[in-house]
Amino acid sequence: MSDAMSVHPEVVTTHDVHHDEHHVHHHKETFITKYVFSQDHKTIGKQFLITGIIWAIIGGLFSVLFRLQLGYPDQHFQILETVFGKWAEGGQIKPEFYYALVTMHGTVLVFFVLTAGLSGTFANILIPLQLGARDMASPFLNMLSYWFFFLASVIMLSSLFISTGPAASGWTVYPPLSALGQASEGSKLGMDMWLVSMAMFIVSSLLGGLNYISTILNMRTKGMSMTRMPLTIWAMFFTAVLGVLSFPVLLSGAILLLFDRNLGTSFYLSDIVVNGQILPNEGGSAILFQHLFWFLGHPEVYIILLPAMGMVSEILSVNSRKPIFGYMAMLGSLFAICILAFLVWAHHMFVTGLNPLLGSIFVLLTLLIAVPSAIKVFNWLTTLWRGNIRFTPATLFAIGFVSLFISGGLTGIFLGNSTIDIHLHDTMFVVAHFHIVMGVASFFGMLAGVYHWFPKMFGRYLNSTLGYIHFWVTIIGAYLIFWPMHYQGLAGMPRRYLDKSSWVSFTQFGELDKMITVVSIIVFAVQLMFVFNFFYSIFKGRKVTTQNPWGANTLEWTTPIRPGHGNWEGEIPEVHRWPYDYGKDGREFIPQTEPIGENESKH
Amino acid sequence: MQHPAFEEVTVHHHQTDDKSFKKKIIKTTVILSIITIVELGLGLLMYALDLPDDLRRLMLKGVIIILSLAKAYFIVSIFMHLGDEIRNMILTIVIPLLLFIWFILAFIIDGNSYKNLRNKYDKHFQERTMEKKDVKELLKKPGGKE
Amino acid sequence: MSTQATVHQTKWWSGGKSPFNLEYGKLMMWYFLMSDAFTFGAFLISYGSIRFSQNYWPNPNVVFDSAPGIHGGAPLFFVSIMTFILIVSSVTMVLAVHEGHKGNRQGVIKWLAWTIVGGLAFLSCQAWEWHHLITGEHAVLVNGQVELWGQNMSHNPWGPVVEGVTYHGHHVTTPGPVAFGGYFFGITGFHGFHVFSGVIINIIMLVMAQKGVFDRRGHYLMIEKAGLYWHFVDLVWVFVFLCFYLI
Repeated sequence: MSDAMSVHPEVVTTHDVHHDEHHVHHHKETFITKYVFSQDHKTIGKQFLITGIIWAIIGGLFSVLFRLQLGYPDQHFQILETVFGKWAEGGQIKPEFYYALVTMHGTVLVFFVLTAGLSGTFANILIPLQLGARDMASPFLNMLSYWFFFLASVIMLSSLFISTGPAASGWTVYPPLSALGQASEGSKLGMDMWLVSMAMFIVSSLLGGLNYISTILNMRTKGMSMTRMPLTIWAMFFTAVLGVLSFPVLLSGAILLLFDRNLGTSFYLSDIVVNGQILPNEGGSAILFQHLFWFLGHPEVYIILLPAMGMVSEILSVNSRKPIFGYMAMLGSLFAICILAFLVWAHHMFVTGLNPLLGSIFVLLTLLIAVPSAIKVFNWLTTLWRGNIRFTPATLFAIGFVSLFISGGLTGIFLGNSTIDIHLHDTMFVVAHFHIVMGVASFFGMLAGVYHWFPKMFGRYLNSTLGYIHFWVTIIGAYLIFWPMHYQGLAGMPRRYLDKSSWVSFTQFGELDKMITVVSIIVFAVQLMFVFNFFYSIFKGRKVTTQNPWGANTLEWTTPIRPGHGNWEGEIPEVHRWPYDYGKDGREFIPQTEPIGENESKH
Repeated sequence: MQHPAFEEVTVHHHQTDDKSFKKKIIKTTVILSIITIVELGLGLLMYALDLPDDLRRLMLKGVIIILSLAKAYFIVSIFMHLGDEIRNMILTIVIPLLLFIWFILAFIIDGNSYKNLRNKYDKHFQERTMEKKDVKELLKKPGGKE
Repeated sequence: MSTQATVHQTKWWSGGKSPFNLEYGKLMMWYFLMSDAFTFGAFLISYGSIRFSQNYWPNPNVVFDSAPGIHGGAPLFFVSIMTFILIVSSVTMVLAVHEGHKGNRQGVIKWLAWTIVGGLAFLSCQAWEWHHLITGEHAVLVNGQVELWGQNMSHNPWGPVVEGVTYHGHHVTTPGPVAFGGYFFGITGFHGFHVFSGVIINIIMLVMAQKGVFDRRGHYLMIEKAGLYWHFVDLVWVFVFLCFYLI
């Protein structure tokens, strides 16, 4: 790799590092090429992060607003009518619109925030920096990846403003509801826009994933063998593999659904009567869509979770000043999770009339996931054990991740058993389970990452006091919101129901629902405080004065405090050791760039 | 030929012998053609013999599937030059493809089970879709779709 | 051989080089094709799942028994021609890539042109076949009356034959499984779309080769990547051919 560099004032450009397509040309970077259509992986990462934050505010706001209705079903809130207009006449959310809100909340949070906003952000920022590469393998495709995501965002956002409203058949968009425009308002234009937006999103995720994989394989600096990579990179690698192999299946499913909606085919439809009208469609299978959806859908939850796991491993090791416990076991369990993720999709479908024999195999494979998950939890705890822990906000969020992953993971064992699932399926128990283990836990991983790498991203620190408030309110709030939902679910309370007043047995949860609503408003407000902290600190935060503020071993801290495009000013450093030499031979940390000393002990 | 632009590649070995290369390609083309003809023959045989849906038909189909996999092997390995790559590269392509085994099995088993469920509980479905119907009944009862 | 020795001595995974001795573009193309294989795989597997959920499925030898100028009685004849066109175009692509290795611009242009011709021929065949299926008229017994149906997205005339009834000397059938048409047009259409985009890519490559872009770069790697894509299209056809026409 040619390391010839030219230094512009402010900007560092690489001399045709590995791009055979274009030749050396210096051009002064304009605002457009630097901040908008930038090909710098760091800028693209920040674009993903900020778009993700905007989506998180929208998706979170939706949940607060429908929580308001769930907590106080009889009251009229003027604010609801102000925000939603005809969808909440008299200050009460209409049932159809409640579906739309739930659908958008799920879609936005799962895909736009926790997929694009999480792995899009950190894969982009960390992969080249921690591997010792000047940029992604193909910076151009990387830029396209963001802009396809942006396009998907624009389409999804516009679907909120059309007269029939956005898609309203759940984030899983099961047919026949999602396939028949005459069945509900939310299955009209909004559904088509959902599908088109998702297709754009899949293209974005594919472009990103291919880039991450080929960068990790091809662009590692000298000495950075695969087992010297930080666990973050391994996690991003498996995330990308999951995305590249499972998103295309959703694409197929979405295309077939579009055909069913618009061309009169019968892939998913059979024997249907809508409003007394017999539809001509026959011979399709609605269960087929569920299979296709969950063939993506299950890997998707690991696409969300794995990057958080990787970052948490790194942050815990750096901040407890100890090597990660069981590096190879961590790596092996990531690999095992990646494989199992593809084999267990139908455990979301135990009550569809799935073949029971098939179901029992899916139970077995599902329960196997407990093994690598337990290994990871054990290793995180032993990494912390007797460590010299620095409780930065990032560390706290990482520890919070471990806590949530344990609590949420255990309820997964309940749901993974097909017999127990008959009782628990589609109840609030499921809502509690996946919000804790996938939603909030990944959020914690993401926030840990933001607090930890913010100095690298913007050359300034986030405010720690606000960070501590953010952490404590969020973790207590998250447990207060989602823990009681387990009890509701065990009692049989169904999810996705706006009005449960016809069940006398659920009136006992009235006060509980009020409490959940109040806490969710508080937690949402605290997230807004974080957003304020984020944007304020970009411009006014405390400046970073040393290259390596956390005393970490990985390569990103060998770059200048505010690295330009190309990351390193001189040659790319060579790597001589694994990234976890903390507290070794009496030294607090030994960076990866330091050659192995003569009398050094083995790790 | 020199490839100065990309340093990721360590060994350049493109000095393929023209003659042996052409020979290899012609050989592969012939093999692919022969397999296709055999497949067509078996397909037509299945039609000509009018085999019922029993084990013999299934076995013929199995043979055709294996032949198609052989075709895929030749295309990927020779035409796409995957056979010439480093072993680990081959593995990164082949191992993920193993996922198709469970993918295919589960989908087909569940499709089949859906059929059995409907034949058992939805007699209308069974009547409507089974072959060899009683013609007179069909002609007598207009609107077989209530 | 010296290259052989280097291959064995190199520490492929130590960083600073590609562990597979491949530049990133080719690696990305390979993994893109993997991803695309899962798109096609999902389509074909859905088709399989639906087919297994039906009691009756049309016989391909009956459905695909015509060719231009031949009205029935030639089962799988036309589709074998299409298959051979695609195989031959794959061979010409291999030769184009090979000429690229040697840096022979005229050779690349010649074989790429033939590949494009093959692609266009395949697309024309497909257009004819679709047209033939959609506009065909087959006697189908619907609600006790005979109607003339073509094969389209929502109607399937290839149901079980009604014994003992003829209509102008032809068999009369009952309606067949509707999903057949949807999958046939959906999957061959998606494949046709890939062939189409492959032809476009090859035309772009042809123009670039003609203008000497690759000679200036010193390598014909783009042709190799286009070649991978083209062979993949051929590969997919092997399975489309298998699933729709043979079994």
